[in-house]
Amino acid sequence: MLELKKFWWMIKKELISLKRHPGRLVSIIAFPIIMILLFGYGMGGEMTDLPILVVSQSDGNLTDLTLDTIKTTETYHVVEVIDDMDEGKHRVDNGEVKAAIILPSDYDDDSSQQKSVTLYLDSSDQMASQILESSTQGIFYRLSNVVAASQTSVSTQNASIEPSLVHSLSNFKDDISLHINKIYGNIKYIDFLVPAVLGMTVMFSCMMGMGATIAGERETGELARLFMTPTSVSTVIGGKIAAKLLIELFRALILIVMAILLFNVSIKGGILQTFIVLVVGALCFVSFGIFFSARTSTQEDYAQIVMPFSMPMMFVSGVFYPIETMPWILQKLAYVFPLTYLNDAMRGIMLKGQTLGDVWFDLVILLGFTLLFFIIGVKRFNRDV
Amino acid sequence: MKNAIETHELTKIYNNNFKAVNSLNLEIPNKSIFGMLGPNGAGKTTTIKMLTCLIQPTSGCATVCGYDVQKNPDEVRNLLGMVPQQVSLYKDLTVMENSQLCADYYGIPADERDSRIEDLMELVDIEYARDKRVGQLSGGQKQKASLVASLVHRPDILFLDEPTIGLDPTTKRTLWDLIRELNDNGHTIILCSHDMHEVDMLCDNVGIINTGNLVAYDTPQGLKDSLLEENKKELTDALSEIHSENEVSKSTQEKLENLSLRKMSFLLQNHDENIVSNLQNMDDVRSVEIARNGRINLRIDAFDDMVVQNILKDVIASGGIIKSIYTEEPSLEDVFIKATAEVDEDARA
Repeated sequence: MLELKKFWWMIKKELISLKRHPGRLVSIIAFPIIMILLFGYGMGGEMTDLPILVVSQSDGNLTDLTLDTIKTTETYHVVEVIDDMDEGKHRVDNGEVKAAIILPSDYDDDSSQQKSVTLYLDSSDQMASQILESSTQGIFYRLSNVVAASQTSVSTQNASIEPSLVHSLSNFKDDISLHINKIYGNIKYIDFLVPAVLGMTVMFSCMMGMGATIAGERETGELARLFMTPTSVSTVIGGKIAAKLLIELFRALILIVMAILLFNVSIKGGILQTFIVLVVGALCFVSFGIFFSARTSTQEDYAQIVMPFSMPMMFVSGVFYPIETMPWILQKLAYVFPLTYLNDAMRGIMLKGQTLGDVWFDLVILLGFTLLFFIIGVKRFNRDV
Repeated sequence: MKNAIETHELTKIYNNNFKAVNSLNLEIPNKSIFGMLGPNGAGKTTTIKMLTCLIQPTSGCATVCGYDVQKNPDEVRNLLGMVPQQVSLYKDLTVMENSQLCADYYGIPADERDSRIEDLMELVDIEYARDKRVGQLSGGQKQKASLVASLVHRPDILFLDEPTIGLDPTTKRTLWDLIRELNDNGHTIILCSHDMHEVDMLCDNVGIINTGNLVAYDTPQGLKDSLLEENKKELTDALSEIHSENEVSKSTQEKLENLSLRKMSFLLQNHDENIVSNLQNMDDVRSVEIARNGRINLRIDAFDDMVVQNILKDVIASGGIIKSIYTEEPSLEDVFIKATAEVDEDARA
């Protein structure tokens, strides 16, 4: 009963502080919103309206159809349709547009066996060039199906590397029909990103917040006063964890709601299960914070110690790219970091619609890390200030 | 119980092999005000941390009201209160909330918690700020709030670490009165301070710690008297050296210059260079200094009132009209400087 009262005081103290410092409350709410906006719009969105030119040297129905198709495709913003190929290439070279789609003079000529369309591309912008390449391939693939009688091919000229090099990308007249069956539906990059951004945000705020609470109170002496009372280290630390957890879960809830409202992210496994996974993740990172703050006497020391762990964890744990695409050494390293397991569980629940039972392994690992960090943290914890 | 705190061969060696406290033997009488003095890094803080169960001793033992700090830490914690130099209350909580938090951490029953706090607030005169956040209080108010939080569990022993540092003279005196009142109410007070006047005014006993050892322990007057006696002996030795060798060695000369002798000063209505010259020629006068305001400051080689009277008689006989007179005995500061300097020399050696 007495210990519960002490726990409650730590929570009450945090809530009173927040109430009396509206700025802090705003920060707690704003941080997840900024994170989700930053990652959602900055990294997770689709690229549209990329500025291009069309160099049309032919007239006729096929040319008109092609121009209409290009103009109505969201990926492109057709700045101008011109007929001078050199001017088109020049405007790509000087960066005015990202690409020029060059339709040859025999494009509408029925007698022509091979219609060679050229995509003159600024490949210095890797993201844009990849999207333009695949989008253009898609358009001419569809057109070649429509105009089955004629053969159409598209070639890409890489403007920044070697403009003269022309190579045929593919022959669109293809007899093979490919059917794609996406088992988890059409998942966009933002869908892939949001579960991990939730995990990463929880990681950062738990680890940094715990440092502020423990190392900060050590620095200012409040912790010493608590430790001079007949109270065990685990009760004081447990109270701190409970208080921190409550705030972090509030943040996590805001993150989830914002992800749904702003990016229409679907949570196939349900909000409750997502929330439970986040609770387990938050517990793990709060304990991680306890582990590192056990013997640090100032916030500055804590930040210096934690940074070499938190930054690599963010990049290696599959937040932005699948772990499988990383070099083998980083893949091995990823499995040492708890964030990897949190991301895996979050994606399982949110994207694949898995249940807590399906992600049990991730949860057990996270709880194991929690227990390990908490026990070592409390053992190492120094009452001394 | 005779002693509130006893330490026996108490030693603390940190991981880097630094011996912060070295076989400290200390007894602090129950219900007394004890001044713990020492230069920075002397081992005071480490001693307090061991006594308050924040760190474990490396060897030796310490008891608080009979409880061993290592075997019964929770009993010891219940008996201690601490007002640290840096106000360690939560700045966003009010005085009342901070006190309630402390009371709950000490397990004070809910039905008597608030009444105890109210009584303490009245005692230290901070009830007018009960609902103010600690962060909004002045330095003196913060110390009072800290006192309330530290006394809420009615500790037998109260540690005060530089309680009046940075406070204005009026607030300082209010806190001194409060410390005396708390002592009258039965609390043993352990005062750590660098304000020698404060320690002299308040403490029944004073212990000076340096390089982890207790280098002096007595009542403030006892320490000053000892210094006076010690100086007398040193001076006698030095003088006999002069008489026997007809010259003064450099070290003896330094000793003579640094002795804390009785100081005397007076202000003349009719300042006259002849009077100053007469004084300089007197046997018992070591040195004469004229201050900016005309005050004549003397250092005298004597320890009885007769010498002082003779000097005054001589001034009057020379036609001097004395406006004011002041004599000064060795201060606790002199004791502190001497005690810590000796250990410093030993450590260097």
